[in-house]
Amino acid sequence: MLNEKRCVITGLGLVCATGDNTDECFQAALDGKSGIEDAKSFDTTECYSHKGAEVKLTDEQLAGGKYDRTTALGIKAAGEAIRDAGLDMDSEDASEIGVLLGSCIAGAACVDKYYNQKERGEKGDPNDIMSISATVIAGNVADYYNAGGITANIVNACAAGTLSLALAIDLIRGGKGEIFLAGGCDSFSSLAYAGFHALRALSPSECSPFNHSDGITLGEGAGVLVVESYEHAVKRGAKIYCDVLGSGVSSDAYHITAPRPDGEGQMSVITRAVKNSGLKFTDIDYVNAHGTGTAKNDESEFLSLKTIFGENKDLYVSSTKSMTGHCLGAAGAIEAVLTVKALKEGKLPPTTGYSEEDLEVLKEKSGGIRFIANKPAEKEIKYAMSNSFAFGGNNASIVFAKDPNVLNLTCPKQCLYVTGIGIVSGDYDEASGDYIAKLENEEFKNYGIKSAFLRKLDRLSQLQLLSGLRALEDAGITVTEENENIIGICIGTNDGPMTEIANFQKGIIRDGIEKGSAFAFPNTVYNAAGGYLSIATGIKGYNVTIANGYQSGLQSVCAAAGAIMFGYESIMLASGTDECTVIDDEIYSDLGLTGEGKMTLGEGSSTCIIEKDSSAAERGAKRYAKIAGFSSARDTSGDRTDNVRLSAKALKKAIGSVLEEGGMKASEISCIYGFGNGIKRIDDFEMEVYKEIFGEDIEVKLVKKDYGEARAASSSLQFAMLAKDIYEGRTENGIAVSYGTSALYSAVLLTKA
Amino acid sequence: MNKEIAEQIKGMLVERLRIPADELEYDSELFGEDIGLDSIDSIEIVVGVENLFGVDLSGAAKEDFRSIETLTAYVEAHKED
Repeated sequence: MLNEKRCVITGLGLVCATGDNTDECFQAALDGKSGIEDAKSFDTTECYSHKGAEVKLTDEQLAGGKYDRTTALGIKAAGEAIRDAGLDMDSEDASEIGVLLGSCIAGAACVDKYYNQKERGEKGDPNDIMSISATVIAGNVADYYNAGGITANIVNACAAGTLSLALAIDLIRGGKGEIFLAGGCDSFSSLAYAGFHALRALSPSECSPFNHSDGITLGEGAGVLVVESYEHAVKRGAKIYCDVLGSGVSSDAYHITAPRPDGEGQMSVITRAVKNSGLKFTDIDYVNAHGTGTAKNDESEFLSLKTIFGENKDLYVSSTKSMTGHCLGAAGAIEAVLTVKALKEGKLPPTTGYSEEDLEVLKEKSGGIRFIANKPAEKEIKYAMSNSFAFGGNNASIVFAKDPNVLNLTCPKQCLYVTGIGIVSGDYDEASGDYIAKLENEEFKNYGIKSAFLRKLDRLSQLQLLSGLRALEDAGITVTEENENIIGICIGTNDGPMTEIANFQKGIIRDGIEKGSAFAFPNTVYNAAGGYLSIATGIKGYNVTIANGYQSGLQSVCAAAGAIMFGYESIMLASGTDECTVIDDEIYSDLGLTGEGKMTLGEGSSTCIIEKDSSAAERGAKRYAKIAGFSSARDTSGDRTDNVRLSAKALKKAIGSVLEEGGMKASEISCIYGFGNGIKRIDDFEMEVYKEIFGEDIEVKLVKKDYGEARAASSSLQFAMLAKDIYEGRTENGIAVSYGTSALYSAVLLTKA
Repeated sequence: MNKEIAEQIKGMLVERLRIPADELEYDSELFGEDIGLDSIDSIEIVVGVENLFGVDLSGAAKEDFRSIETLTAYVEAHKED
């Protein structure tokens, strides 16, 4: 199943403030033309900064006006990438095309609209609510174009766009797909503007990366790349831009917003990407830097680049954010598109905005590095790298190459085991009518978590931290300097930190954009929980958060397994987490999903330690169960405009794939941990499919009966409870199954260890 | 010390910075060992105090942020009635 499949880029799509397509944006970048102007999306009169890099096209022009602006930007860029790659979306082949999109602020424009309506005492529009969470973006884009492959939304803030590309090559090399639309999208939003304003992180004028470094300028846009296996590309006669070699993902384990001043995490991620690509530091010709323009980023990034590429005397570096603005979850994807174009055409875009005086200073600062300032550099290059560093201390890096290279990925087929379990689940609470988890300060204290740290964490982050700590303890793992770099984190969530997002937005509606909460803003990013978990435990490896419907808790297991298979890590924490507060109650009630005869909300977090055989053997770890197969599947038949449609075909495909991977027959399966949640339409559909595959007598266990619909926390709980049942002899084996929007299903098969 | 102002500041700190009320005394070192606030928290205090009293803390010295007591004194001295 595993190989070092060659991955190539065969299509590009781009929209940002400097242009409506890839060619316009790339030409603007070479010409040093900035897209930064006075912000127009909302009134910034009371703010100390008024700049933004906004896209001129309206939502109507981007995607017919039916979608939230973030999704609309994604649709626009994906459309160009599809056309550029010559993909026929009406053909049978379209059913294989997956969509992986990064986003930081997701449906922030709809958050703004919904809570403005609510504050005025009006009824919120269910269409807005459905667009608020990042969870629906990739599915909506996939449905729009009839792309029937698997989807994921990568929500690691400003590293999300790069991480989605990293996931695409891992999925292709892991045999889970042949072709993906991968990238990122984010709209301009009052939420992000007020947040960075509160942190005093906005530049008073145009951002000036690696120059005046007095803050960022926010932008918006989307970048989408068609990432494809070489065989697949050749078979369909596609034009090939370049190869994608290896990627790197790491955690700072330092601070929720600031990068490590010593650049350790950044150097670690660059090292990972170079090493995985089978290259040396001296091989890299061009780096498209993160280069946001904040003093903290620019200082640590300068230091990282100078240190790690010290021997490389011919390295070109630039930050294109001086023209595109910082497009957050889209940034890495936009920069990847520009980097691929630079590699292909031998023209490297500059960082703009240097005066004669600035150029003198730059000369001294940059030492041996060739910083491209104001004017592009013409240079034939072989290897180009794009770096992204995010809130939560999340770093990601990816390498593009003119020619293929022998990669340094160790992917021998190896058995993976569940070696630790940490569960936080809710009890029925009469007052709210929900299943609410108990979070005791005393327990955190016993784990050595200080109250000065704990108070920073929102509810989602606390739930996540507690299940992570319990799982590590259960597995007998202490994070030390020896193992901190071989342990990673993968978190799934449906709604993310919705309470922090809603309260932050309500605050700026009430007090004004200039009075956003600096305390709350860092928690509004979906990967804050993963960031805090890494800071609290010292885990410095892989770190990804996926928001992709209720099944996210199972998809996190799939992604975690991939990270181990490729040798990135030996041990992964795979979690599913969702909170339940008055905010969630309001949203789900407005959607008409809760109440008599419908679902009861719950909350919680489950973390399972997934470990490779050799590591578990070395530690003498207890083994709950063996992961015998994992799979996701989607289906675009039926009414694609209905993203809560059900698909027996996709559910059967996901189950069929894990049976095949595990070499088992349906008749050998002892039990199913299902996703039924009390909504009759869903429960009936689910039982029908199981009976068809496994027969009338199959035992189906439903955790949501006892713990409520805790969304991603439920799907990870299904997995954890199945592992426990196997370990404690209640069942021989079983499959945990869950579902997401746009007819996405995931299944994981566990057997005796 | 004006107890009314001090109580309002305490309430603001508990609400905006999630500091447990029972750990917060009027003389607790906000940025020291006691409570462990950081630079992001100080920005939050500036906004919180401005919302409550219309007093701009952005020009205040580091010592003025030391405790609820010092913040109260600063507000008292700069509050326009």
